[in-house]
Amino acid sequence: MFEAGVREYREIYWTPEYQPRDTDVLAAFRVVPQPGVAPEEAAAAVAAESSTATWTNVWTDWLTTVERYQAHAYCLEPVPGRADQFIACIAYPLELFEEGSVPSLMPSITGNVFGFKAIRALRLEDLRIPVALVTTYQGPPAGIQVERDRLNKYGRPLLGATLKPKLGLSARNYGRACYELLAGGLDFTKDDENITSQPFMRWRDRYQFVMEAVGKAEQETGERKGHYLNVTAPDCELMLERAEFARELGSPIIMHDYLVGGFAAHTTLSKWCRRNGILLHVHRALHAVLDRQKDHGINFRVLAKWLRLAGGDHLHAGTVVGKLEGERETTLGVVDLLRENFVSANRARGLYFDQDWASLPAVLPVASGGIHVWHMPALVEIFGDDSVLQFGGGSAGHPDGSRAGATANRVALEACVQARNEGRDLTAEGTQVLKDAAARSPELAAALDTWREIRFDFDTVDTPDVMPA
Amino acid sequence: MKLETFSYLPALSGEQLEMQVRAILDRGLVVGIEYTTAPDPRNHYWTMWKLPLFGPADPAAVLAELDECRKANLSAFIKVNGYDRTRQGQVVSFVASRPAEDD
Repeated sequence: MFEAGVREYREIYWTPEYQPRDTDVLAAFRVVPQPGVAPEEAAAAVAAESSTATWTNVWTDWLTTVERYQAHAYCLEPVPGRADQFIACIAYPLELFEEGSVPSLMPSITGNVFGFKAIRALRLEDLRIPVALVTTYQGPPAGIQVERDRLNKYGRPLLGATLKPKLGLSARNYGRACYELLAGGLDFTKDDENITSQPFMRWRDRYQFVMEAVGKAEQETGERKGHYLNVTAPDCELMLERAEFARELGSPIIMHDYLVGGFAAHTTLSKWCRRNGILLHVHRALHAVLDRQKDHGINFRVLAKWLRLAGGDHLHAGTVVGKLEGERETTLGVVDLLRENFVSANRARGLYFDQDWASLPAVLPVASGGIHVWHMPALVEIFGDDSVLQFGGGSAGHPDGSRAGATANRVALEACVQARNEGRDLTAEGTQVLKDAAARSPELAAALDTWREIRFDFDTVDTPDVMPA
Repeated sequence: MKLETFSYLPALSGEQLEMQVRAILDRGLVVGIEYTTAPDPRNHYWTMWKLPLFGPADPAAVLAELDECRKANLSAFIKVNGYDRTRQGQVVSFVASRPAEDD
């Protein structure tokens, strides 16, 4: 019998006895309720508004079985040191989501509920994607091992650089900068994310000059080289036209800004890359707008999981030591989510749930932004071999130019890898390893002198609630 | 010409080479030796020097094979690979020996 009226959300959606199923999508939300709203009611409201409910009873509820499709708020826990907020865990039945579609996850889990008035602030901290849903996604076009096999690069991190100045070079000069870096010893160069197709350098001109540079550097060094040609475009037709031209020119890799382009466009491109045997480098402009504030938004680990589902072979994930935000444990949690096949819950790294990727290919984390040769021992230690380390200013800022800067970075990298393999502790001995290598490399010696004092010591905004003991 | 990992460092001494080989074996990887006179980066299939050294191996055994390969192929580039069965792929590879005239 239909009864018009309004019921408290907690009557239906707060279910502490609920046992999550293996096929459920699980979300951990940080909830700051408005004053006077009980935690159970706030958690239930999040579950309700992100699944089946609206604010009032409606007769059409009686045409279906709400219990089958409703989300369940099943646990609440306090946040150490923050009386105004708590973590709510919510389980969503698998049937709520379309197969292989990040755009189907977002409107429910990160939709209206973020603007709900009874909630002062809301942050999606983690999202467990069940295996049943993971296997409906393509994932990365190639994955780490296939990329290494294609490019013949083993046993060390890959090295890249973003071309600088990021705006205003002509296509021919841009190709020159690219050639110098690759011939000097880098594996990759990268379009800055601001570079699309501006009046000072149209995309076709850039692609042609850059690919001449890539080919010439390969011939001279006997090593595979690549440039992340940015195909981010005003519309999907142009995006694919750029990707196809990159393929015609023989580029092994292209680049997309996934949050800017949007998940539908990105997924289209990722599938195109799989079909065409081209690697996909992924930039993350916009992420800090969504993920940096601790009380509201979407934690980057969720944006990273969505990227692994939609597909990308490289993803920028923080440096820990450079100019951009990225607390160490939190960053390592994201790195695990990108690279491992199974990641266990680990609160010190901000991981609320186990995540089983069911053999979905892995993504190389990219460390980029304000890093230079002095950071090399720490970067090799933190990120290990399966990573891309990018030195933009840290290459082109060398007193003898880009080629010498690239060589300095390559020498430093190989010296650190060699020392690590010999069983030396890079944290304790990194400085000595670099100095010894510099004795045989004038390029490295000059780089060490140039950047001796540059540090970025600021407090991190986005910190984990649980600090490691 | 540069040839990937460690090619920007001075040639490894005998002792340094042994430490790198030991690191591969300590990770539980299978060592393989390959050689070629055409080290083009798009040439993925260099000639195998015998089968990979499956089963327990020590650095001395690997270095002895490397020596034997060098003597039989004086004008070849020779690389040492570390193969990971779990990952089903190479995870280590570096050129351990170049032809005499290239040094």
